[in-house]
Amino acid sequence: MVRTEPSILDLPHDARPDPDELVRAAMAWHFAPETGSPFWLRRAATLDFDPLADVKGYDDLTLFPNVANELRDVPAADLVPRGYGPRPDLVGVFESGGTTGAPKRVVCPADWLEKLVAWSNANLDVHGFPRGADWLGITPSGPHIVGEIFRRSALTHGRHGFTVDLDPRWVKRLIADGRGAQADAYAEHVVDQAAHILRTQPVGVLTVTPPLLERIARRDDLVELVNEKVRAIRWGGTQMDADTAELYRTEIFPGTTLYGHYGSTMILGIAGQRYGTPAGEPCVFDTFSPYITFQVVDPRTRRPVAYGERGQVVMHHVSKALLLPNNLERDTAVRVPAPEGAAGDSAAGIAPVERFDDEVVIEGVY
Amino acid sequence: MGADGAAPPTVEVLGPSGPYRTRTEQEITDVTGAVMAGMSQAPKIYVERAMRALHAARPLPDAERAAALSRAAGLFRSATLGGLTAQQYERAVTRVSGLPLGVVRTATRTCAERVAAAYRSVQEARPRGAVSDWRDPLVRTGQALWSRRGEVLAVHVPGNHPGTHGFWPEALALGYRVAVRPSRREPFTAHRLVLALRAAGFPDDHVVLLPCGHDAADAVVRGADLAYGGDEVIRRYADDPGVLSLRPGRSKILLTAGADWRDHVDLVVDSAVRHAGTGCVNVTGVLVEGDPAPLAGAVAERLAALPSLPPLDEKACLPVQSVKSARALERYVLDRARGTRAWLGGTGFVDELGDGSAVLRPAVHQLASADAPQLGAEVPFPCVWIAPWSRADGVAPLRDTLVLTAVTEDEELVDALVAEPTISNLYLGGRATHWHRAGLPHDGYLGEFLMRSKTTVRA
Repeated sequence: MVRTEPSILDLPHDARPDPDELVRAAMAWHFAPETGSPFWLRRAATLDFDPLADVKGYDDLTLFPNVANELRDVPAADLVPRGYGPRPDLVGVFESGGTTGAPKRVVCPADWLEKLVAWSNANLDVHGFPRGADWLGITPSGPHIVGEIFRRSALTHGRHGFTVDLDPRWVKRLIADGRGAQADAYAEHVVDQAAHILRTQPVGVLTVTPPLLERIARRDDLVELVNEKVRAIRWGGTQMDADTAELYRTEIFPGTTLYGHYGSTMILGIAGQRYGTPAGEPCVFDTFSPYITFQVVDPRTRRPVAYGERGQVVMHHVSKALLLPNNLERDTAVRVPAPEGAAGDSAAGIAPVERFDDEVVIEGVY
Repeated sequence: MGADGAAPPTVEVLGPSGPYRTRTEQEITDVTGAVMAGMSQAPKIYVERAMRALHAARPLPDAERAAALSRAAGLFRSATLGGLTAQQYERAVTRVSGLPLGVVRTATRTCAERVAAAYRSVQEARPRGAVSDWRDPLVRTGQALWSRRGEVLAVHVPGNHPGTHGFWPEALALGYRVAVRPSRREPFTAHRLVLALRAAGFPDDHVVLLPCGHDAADAVVRGADLAYGGDEVIRRYADDPGVLSLRPGRSKILLTAGADWRDHVDLVVDSAVRHAGTGCVNVTGVLVEGDPAPLAGAVAERLAALPSLPPLDEKACLPVQSVKSARALERYVLDRARGTRAWLGGTGFVDELGDGSAVLRPAVHQLASADAPQLGAEVPFPCVWIAPWSRADGVAPLRDTLVLTAVTEDEELVDALVAEPTISNLYLGGRATHWHRAGLPHDGYLGEFLMRSKTTVRA
């Protein structure tokens, strides 16, 4: 088979290639012996279809099995497409949160992160983030990709990026072990560090997780500092319900732009909040289509749910850097039509998969 | 709903600066599964700010608190609050709780009486040596002053019976500011009571209603100095000395040899079925010196005659739940009853009404011995476990009891029962376990938990 011209994989962030063409080009890249990664070239042998012949467009991505679980053990070096050459320009190896077992790993090449951040910066402009501001990021520096996205965003959209590190895996473990007081003390320690930066630096943009933003909002002096200095808050990592967002907008941080992103290391990126959603409505996340796309499906049938209905989120990443299609995430969302020309779905009202508990009887009348 | 009841409106958050309606709502369903109302869900960040507002507020003067409580009682009993008349409120509670309408009406009266008496009742808990005001002349020469252990109380009372709301207003009488998290099952009583207290003069930042999810419910407890209640949130904090946890009642009746069981069938039946058997003061275990079988048979015969009726029926006297939870309870009790002799309800006690709800009919089981573990198996319907008791068994089977009715002439035994620290209330003679009067402790005085005595002297 003749190699497809790979240039469609190298377009700038705002080129918006045709999703079907992109997928075909990505198949040619990831499944050609000269350019594909050792992982996919090996894995192709056990697929029950031929990705080069059978994957003709975006809709055929669902032919792929979900290989995310295999990324817990695969040597990271096997994930780099050979097409990047013997000395690929890489940003690093990144890991998933590790909530559902051992972490999953991906490798991020520099060209991809540059494209993603350029797309994300354009989004920030739409939401009115000031250019050239100093940024404060209260976000894990690693091993998740969010820290890297923060640094690149601060340097390219803003000026300086101040960071406070954060270890969410340790916090989750403390909470799982019932050591809530220690988790609490750790979070306060994080906020204390952020407070020092907020007091001494002209921070114009704050990147933070919703639980830590709540802690900031508990301290009157920090609320005052944020209102005095911070023009825009970018939140992500966990969800913020519409009622909470509305309280920030109207009572706690009026005059500060609030912008959410919903990301995953497994898509090497983030989806950004849609601009102009009416106040009080849950925010809608649009993806960096066609490279990153969502589908909101019924987990049993894997068929899309109706628009406005809740389903489970399937994520696809299709780029020169990575092929990770059909990854069923543990989040549910309400399916929303994607913007015109974009592939897949947009997602609103993100929530963890619910557990359906049986009726439990606890003795006593209470 | 019927002609006399428009659908209750949304149960809003009643926050420190007024009512607040959230986008996220929880559905409140009645026992048939029909959605009756929506309930706002305060976000955690809102709860945290509300708790801070309660801390910042200063208590009203004593006289104003007493007057406001008295007014609130009248409003709770008869005013239109939150768009509901007293009758509409009672019907709403009946539909969601499955308690018979008559039981709910009695509860409204009892709750109003307790609120009216709150300022007086709470004084009963004050040690004789303590005064309540530092301006008291006795302070000149040194006196104990009864003072609050904190400023803000979190209340998470359960939705099993509206009467559970009768006690926490005592905290307002003492100058506490109070945050109430209503039960998801029956939020109307908490909502109505907070509205009544506000209409009666307590400012919005003195008593708040914070319906919320689990995460925010933790913030209610953590944002308060002390907490009181009996829901799943309180249970997690049960070992915290700042938390007063309502425990299962496991109330019991003891008939010793001198008491002829024939004279006390009414006592057992009444103790089992008053409040439709859903209270912690309803009898769970009955101990009989001698053969328990004749009493068990007689009680079973009486309880079997009670009719299965939907809760809004004027003649209803048994509790109703959704079929799903009724069946779950049935499986649980039948499993628990293995190895006992069933006099009533031994093969099941759920009577489906055909509309998605089911009556929980009474159950009577005879246990082989006084130390059978079922004796304290409290469930929210008339379910009685009857066991033999002898002097050799002693006080042990009577421990962990909210109300113990002891029909006995044995003063030595009475001495031992009085001395037993895990018996909260002791009724001697043929007094039903549900008997109570305002001003008497329920499980100790709430005032014992909320207050302490500190030495005060003015030089």
